[in-house]
Amino acid sequence: MGTIHSKGQGVPVWIQIIRKISTVFGIISSAMIAASVLIICQMIWVRFVLNGSTIWQTEAVVYLMISAVLLGLPYVQLLRGHVNVDLLSVILNPTGQKILACFSLSIAMLLSLLIAFYGYEIFHIALERNWRSDTVWGVRLWIPYLSVPVGFVLFALQLLADIAETIRGNIPKNPGGH
Amino acid sequence: MDPLLLSAIIAIATIAILFSGMPIAVGLMLVSAIFLLIFDGFSSLELLPELLFGKLDNFALLSIPMFIIMGAAISSSRAGADLYEALERWLTKVPGGLVVSNLGACALFSAMSGSSPATCAAIGKMGIPEMLKRGYPATVASGSIAAGGTLGILIPPSVTMIIYGIATETSIGRLFLAGVLPGLLLVLLFMMWSIYSTWRQQGSDVIKKEYSWKEKFEVLPRVAPFIIIILGVLYALYGGVATPSETAAVGALLCLIVTVVVYKLYSFKGLWSIFRDSTKESVMILFIIGAAGVFSYMLSSLFVTQSIAEWIATLDVNRWILMFAINIFLLIAGFFLPPVAVILMTAPILLPIIISAGFDPYWFAVILTINMEIGLISPPVGLNLYVINGIAPEIKLKTILLGSLPYVACMILAIIILSAFPGLVTWLPDTLMGRLN
Repeated sequence: MGTIHSKGQGVPVWIQIIRKISTVFGIISSAMIAASVLIICQMIWVRFVLNGSTIWQTEAVVYLMISAVLLGLPYVQLLRGHVNVDLLSVILNPTGQKILACFSLSIAMLLSLLIAFYGYEIFHIALERNWRSDTVWGVRLWIPYLSVPVGFVLFALQLLADIAETIRGNIPKNPGGH
Repeated sequence: MDPLLLSAIIAIATIAILFSGMPIAVGLMLVSAIFLLIFDGFSSLELLPELLFGKLDNFALLSIPMFIIMGAAISSSRAGADLYEALERWLTKVPGGLVVSNLGACALFSAMSGSSPATCAAIGKMGIPEMLKRGYPATVASGSIAAGGTLGILIPPSVTMIIYGIATETSIGRLFLAGVLPGLLLVLLFMMWSIYSTWRQQGSDVIKKEYSWKEKFEVLPRVAPFIIIILGVLYALYGGVATPSETAAVGALLCLIVTVVVYKLYSFKGLWSIFRDSTKESVMILFIIGAAGVFSYMLSSLFVTQSIAEWIATLDVNRWILMFAINIFLLIAGFFLPPVAVILMTAPILLPIIISAGFDPYWFAVILTINMEIGLISPPVGLNLYVINGIAPEIKLKTILLGSLPYVACMILAIIILSAFPGLVTWLPDTLMGRLN
């Protein structure tokens, strides 16, 4: 988990659990990206070497990528991988930094919950009406849509853990802008 | 409300929210949510997840994680060290040989890895101590590596160019080609400055090493595999064999195989770190792309994009004054924001203006990218400066900063040269891919 976070003792159990969940989803997200490398290569093999036609690959890798992004959000937050502009906090004193960090993390968490809520609605409609993509493969759309509410709820949880850590005095540092 | 006043309010709100330290992607979604809520009501919020999802639903975007995996695999190996050694041994007789080979290694490695900080770290770790040991001034040693590291976003394959291509619906292959000659021009300018500055401060008082032919040839096989893969990927792209995403996926798989077989990276831990780093980078970039999609939807549904373009058209300023103003704007944005965010936020607004002023969108991509390169080595965010500070703690941050300033001047000079001779950008793509109508 890198050196950014305080580890082990003193970190409340619930924060440790959230970090574990975020890490598990990070691994799932990586696996999805790795799988898309292989699927694209397989598709090229079928098309150019075997001269066959491909049906499901293009769609599958796009949905894998979208899910990898959404499910990977909490893990990237855990790794401080989401870039930000931290100029304002540099000029503030420690108390000011703490207040600003809590404020921006809380707003980010509320927005994530909002998106998760509306994301759940789309997922629910897609499931209820049995929406399918308009291709030959006709994938059930609730499957990729499910990653919106799941990803954003987990992202909100990780942000909550970061708020708690900030209040405890461990202001998460972002390693850099680019 | 007057759309121009609204634009100003949105711009101020965006700056305020981004400066609060919120992740950029979240900040963009937040601004979009607030303004959509105010002007289009609650029902517009339902669109947020759909817009985000829809923006990411694009096969071309897959080229981003694929190129990132390719770069991460190369960065995790000893390829940087090998490349540096090879160039050093072959270019030792050239005036300013060491700094020239360092810049060459930076250009090649940053093109292969696509990452500025990774290049500074990989080449700088060996290059900077060696340059200092052999009597090169600290300003040149640190500045050349900081500047050299930025070349990757211009020289193909470049993730920044892919993002520009996707944001503006221009051809990624053509963009890659457009970056080649300007990239070489920058390398040349950097080299000239480094040699001049070394000569001015040290005379010809730097130590040169001699290498035997055996030493020169034994390093070649070690640098060959990755260079062959990159050339293969670019060939497949231009041969029209496959799309960028497809060629990049094959390139990623081959680079992973080379990393395991040639560089003997057998451990699960090593492979996981490649995938962890690539996932981190890809998710970050793709999340910004999705969020920027929501942001530009908000801008155009509130008629901001259109009214800014109309307003600038009514100003009737000289096109070069317009270009100058755009450059200043991009430069300032690049000081604070990463290239991905600047391109995604500004390209949809700027492109119609650029085209109606009679500029070539591919030429503009190069100018924009050089502006972003300047941001990478300028305070306050200039990540490369901090990376070098980390790997060469004996050089003061102030010296690194002073050292990189002349290279910023080289970049500005390059922008001026390319404005005077736009053919330097368009000649290669026009020759290889045919002229655009």
